[in-house]
Amino acid sequence: MRIEHAVPIDYDVLIQADRVHSALYTDPVIFDQEMERIFHNGWVFVGHDSEIPVPGDYVTRQLGQQPVIMSRGKDGSVHVVRNRCAHRGNKVCARDSGNSKVFACPYHGWVYDLDGSLLDTPQANGYGASFDKSAHGMVPADQVEVYRGFVFASLNHSGMTLKEHLGRATELLDRCCDLSPAGELDLTAGWLKHRFKANWKMLPENDCDGYHVDFTHSSFMSATDSQAIDLIQGGGEPVVRDWGNGHIEIDFGVAYRKRGNPFEWFGRVPASKLPNYVKAMEARYGKEKANEMFCGGPPHAIIFPNLFLGELNVVFYYPVSANECVQLYTPMLLKGAPEVNQRAIHQTEGAVGPGSFLIPEDVIIAERNQAGLAAQQPEWMDLSRGLHREYQEDGLTVSHMSDETVNRAFYRRYKTAMQRDLQAVT
Amino acid sequence: MVSDQLLRQLGDFIHHEARLCDESRYAEWEALWTDDGHYWVPRAEGLDPEKQVSHINDNRRRIHTRIKQLLTGTRHSQTPPSPMRRVISGIVVEAIDGDDYVVGSNFVLLELAIQSTRDVHVWGGRTTHRLRRSGSGWLMAAKKVVLVNADEPIPNISFLI
Repeated sequence: MRIEHAVPIDYDVLIQADRVHSALYTDPVIFDQEMERIFHNGWVFVGHDSEIPVPGDYVTRQLGQQPVIMSRGKDGSVHVVRNRCAHRGNKVCARDSGNSKVFACPYHGWVYDLDGSLLDTPQANGYGASFDKSAHGMVPADQVEVYRGFVFASLNHSGMTLKEHLGRATELLDRCCDLSPAGELDLTAGWLKHRFKANWKMLPENDCDGYHVDFTHSSFMSATDSQAIDLIQGGGEPVVRDWGNGHIEIDFGVAYRKRGNPFEWFGRVPASKLPNYVKAMEARYGKEKANEMFCGGPPHAIIFPNLFLGELNVVFYYPVSANECVQLYTPMLLKGAPEVNQRAIHQTEGAVGPGSFLIPEDVIIAERNQAGLAAQQPEWMDLSRGLHREYQEDGLTVSHMSDETVNRAFYRRYKTAMQRDLQAVT
Repeated sequence: MVSDQLLRQLGDFIHHEARLCDESRYAEWEALWTDDGHYWVPRAEGLDPEKQVSHINDNRRRIHTRIKQLLTGTRHSQTPPSPMRRVISGIVVEAIDGDDYVVGSNFVLLELAIQSTRDVHVWGGRTTHRLRRSGSGWLMAAKKVVLVNADEPIPNISFLI
């Protein structure tokens, strides 16, 4: 039950073609509306089905502000249920992950099936004939859909399907999975978890920001001979791309493919060190397509609102408050590619997570952004970069790697979600 | 298992290493490492580092890159460096392996995140050092730090833990 606000917030005022108002990052009322209209009423990434391979496997997650359990049912289907006892609200499942036939509440012992339905209440004669078990379950997400292993849930009973939400961005998820000779990811190396004091939107903005690398990561550039240096200083061959529906990308593949060296995105590992992988990929795709994929690599893209395909990392984030967020990272392991996976874990450790060489700078920058916003002038965050030079390519808006086409695209979808009339759902 | 004198030497090394970390004396800290050094901060005890991702899992080459990055003076997450001080206790020799001594200890560390929030972060856990005789002194062949909250959402660990 939500408290209605006396004065509705006008997102047309706050989100303009070339700028957004900083209240979007600091205002607690706007934060509550984001939870209501985006995280609790639309498709949100929850986890990956490789995390719950066996019936009874479960992981606990945050879906916006709501604790949920993602589990594998007896019939093999994926369940996402709210982690809350229907009796008096206990958070039933305390562990991060495990395997269980049922969920049992520690308070009064109510027992639930993996799909949330109530199986048993101790001393059931204390409930009269009118007690309807089916009305007292752990409430499931209204919709759960899986696209190539990526589990998305929506707490909205209608609205668009997952396929409609993803639109053409399914190509980005395909690009990840197709790098596996089995066509599947295996996200089983565990998650590094990072907490910081910044608004959750600071992250997608940073993740698909091609403008900041020289400055935010200058120390990394000086200390290593990362392939990123060549890309950034060698002229703007990578591009940013708006995939529609708020899904955004920095396409480094454009540059990598042009240069035609395989595995530049993978620490420039020589193909000779991945013989079985190369063989398996050539068998699946043919030599030419396989080589194209070895050159282009995985995507660097955001699936709105909370999933970041960070090249060899799968990353997602959940909001804690207007000025706090948690981000989680796992190596993008590939089924059927042990040679790749061994190296992928170490690449993840170098790139992402609290102890890595890159992400701590992005986090500090986000925290300092959040702190700077306390100085209330100028009110606006400028997002005009590249407006004069973006162009259409293959039906999508594209621009120079350093341009804010992607920020504008994210906010267009954000605005649509925030302005949606939730009462009008049928 | 070991003489008081030897335990004192190992303890002195550990306290000295801790002081170098606290004071962000990067080059001096790097000089403590053997050529086969391993600096490891896993997500929990008992995980296979080849199958499970760690926060830090530096071979000697990566240790060098880490120090090089910190020595640029422009690593924003440690500019300025976090003022820190840790307390170490319970130093005990857990094993002897040829010239190597495997030494366990517990720590609590206060870190002032002066780069942004100015929060004081409390870190704590168990450290396992592998110390190797070198001439009349000691070098560090391995340092493993298992934080009590390593598998929870935690702030930046871009300082030397």
